[in-house]
Amino acid sequence: MSTAETRTRTTPGLVPVPETSRATERRPPEPPAGAVPPRRSSSAFWRLLGSELGLTFRRPRNLVMLGVLAGVPVVMGVALRLVAADAELGGIVTSVAGNSLMLTFASLSFLVVLLMPVAVAMVAGDAIAGEAGTGTLRYLLAAPAGRTRLLAVKYLNAVVFSFAVTAVVALSALVTGLIMFPVGPVTLLSGTTVPVAEGLLRILISVGYVGAGMAALAAVALALSTFTEVSIGAVAGTMVIVIVSQVLRAIPQFDGLADYLLPARWTGFDGALRSPIDTGAMAEGLLTFGAYIVLSGSVAWARFSGKDITS
Amino acid sequence: MRKGTFVRWGVPIAAAAVIGAAIGAGPVVAAVSGDPALPERSAQQLLADAVAAVERTDGPLPMSGTVRQTASLGLPALPQMGGESPLALLSGSHEVKVWYGAQDRLRVAMPTHMNETNLIVNGDEAWYWDSDGNTATKIKIKAGAGWAHEPATPAPTPSDLTPQAAAAKVLAKAEEHTAIGVTNTAEVAGRPAYQLVLRPKAEASLVQEVRLALDGETYVPLRVQVYAKGSAEPAFEVGFTQVTFTPPAEENFVFTPPAGAKVEEQTLGEVISDGKAGEHTGEHTGDAKAAKDLKVVGEGWSGVVVAPMPDLGSLPAEAPGGQGDPAEAKALLDNVLKSATPVSGTWGSGKLITTKLVTVLLTDDGRLLAGAVTPEEIVRVAGTR
Repeated sequence: MSTAETRTRTTPGLVPVPETSRATERRPPEPPAGAVPPRRSSSAFWRLLGSELGLTFRRPRNLVMLGVLAGVPVVMGVALRLVAADAELGGIVTSVAGNSLMLTFASLSFLVVLLMPVAVAMVAGDAIAGEAGTGTLRYLLAAPAGRTRLLAVKYLNAVVFSFAVTAVVALSALVTGLIMFPVGPVTLLSGTTVPVAEGLLRILISVGYVGAGMAALAAVALALSTFTEVSIGAVAGTMVIVIVSQVLRAIPQFDGLADYLLPARWTGFDGALRSPIDTGAMAEGLLTFGAYIVLSGSVAWARFSGKDITS
Repeated sequence: MRKGTFVRWGVPIAAAAVIGAAIGAGPVVAAVSGDPALPERSAQQLLADAVAAVERTDGPLPMSGTVRQTASLGLPALPQMGGESPLALLSGSHEVKVWYGAQDRLRVAMPTHMNETNLIVNGDEAWYWDSDGNTATKIKIKAGAGWAHEPATPAPTPSDLTPQAAAAKVLAKAEEHTAIGVTNTAEVAGRPAYQLVLRPKAEASLVQEVRLALDGETYVPLRVQVYAKGSAEPAFEVGFTQVTFTPPAEENFVFTPPAGAKVEEQTLGEVISDGKAGEHTGEHTGDAKAAKDLKVVGEGWSGVVVAPMPDLGSLPAEAPGGQGDPAEAKALLDNVLKSATPVSGTWGSGKLITTKLVTVLLTDDGRLLAGAVTPEEIVRVAGTR
């Protein structure tokens, strides 16, 4: 399929570049992924996904990123512990100092703005462009697994990483909080107090919501990734979208637009901290994420299934 | 290959179309399905029905919903302020959630990012909770303080946003200075609604019209919109975006201050008896003191309030509730004064502040004139002492 299209290539600027030895060396564990048995079965799909996940979670830069994300809640916990000693600081500081579980929400609200999107964009933006850039994409497509299937595997991989990023932040914050701050009934934003078990449940809801939001960003990054062979381009493009959205959100004149922007929706996880849980706003948020996933996913598919694979 | 490209790209285009349709579905469906089927009513019938409905059920029905308030008064850009500051309500849009159980059972919550301000009224006890400051204020209401017939009025900020309170104010004005019409085609929060259209007769008024939407079934006021002359968008709007007429869960009206919170107490009855001059319980105490020197020139919509200029620090905020941080009020005032245009006439000279709905004139001889009238009118009033 790919060779046939290479012959009928019409796009100027896409010059077939002979693969360099360096490019092959960059990804030593590639052969297993490429060596999927030529049988169109669901087991092949899961094997491909498994190998992708293995690559993602073994890649040093991803591990470093996860480590940094896990470190931030620890730093925040220590800082808040020190600050809380002299009290008289309102808001989230007081609630974190008063209850260990609140550190999770504080960390999520702090990291969801920029650092978590960076981590997700790094993986999802690299998905197609990275393979194309290192010249391994055509080997992946040599197996008759089909482009749609490859795209699905790449996206699922990014989704798993999105939830992993969220879970790492939440777990690290939870552990830090449990060590540094008293455990007890959680005071919600509405001033109501719920038992610890329900607090944990609400953390779980928040993690699910933020994870879905990150998965929506992963779809955007994946779509950008199909348009370029330079993965940093896709990653940077995704971050530009995130930052521009943040700017638009801060301008009051674009108030009506804010509901449709991803960053504005990510912070909606605080609906889980209200009493009763703000299901309306959170459902709207999930719908927005779904819309982003459907739109970006279909763009990625349209682009990738017709793309000339030249490297 | 070419053809395939078109087919492929058809998928994202179709997806975009579906999403766009889903976003725009509300207004489109409303436009296509035409007028909601409500029988026609005259303004008088409508008001009578509304009053009857209220009397029958002894007050508005139990309900809960989300209220959105939008103000675009054309004020100069406000400095960054905290989300729960009353002054912040003067620009942009804000959402509050309302749970209404009965006359004396009410919860109003104003959610902002990672914060929430709550007012919970249950019987003769009321709590004001601010998660940012981690403070719970117990507001005691003295017996006979006029609470029973006006539950929402004495409350701090968010409660003034309920359509009920806003509608009551509008209805009080609807007399001989106003042309009143009724439409039966409005839709608010997905419910068919009657819309009472009040058009000021006075030429000098800045208000084009006030629209008050009453639920077609329960006659509960669902939305109030104030249109300024010469603009298609409402300058001020408060209304439900989502509403259900079922009694809210009981736990909404129960508040126990969480452990570790600062608990303060405030007795509302005392505040009111201090400011006996104020006719309305909700009036700011400062306003009540100033009321002695207040004078209203003109009638109805073109009325202009003339008052001696208060010293700038204690200028009553225009905001509903008006219990803002003085520093914030000062910053706002400085900002507004910067944009004021100097005017002069035979009466002297002063500074004119115009917004879409309100014109304020500060004269150099220490008078403050304010009204929902054109600048020409206010200057004319300044001349007639």
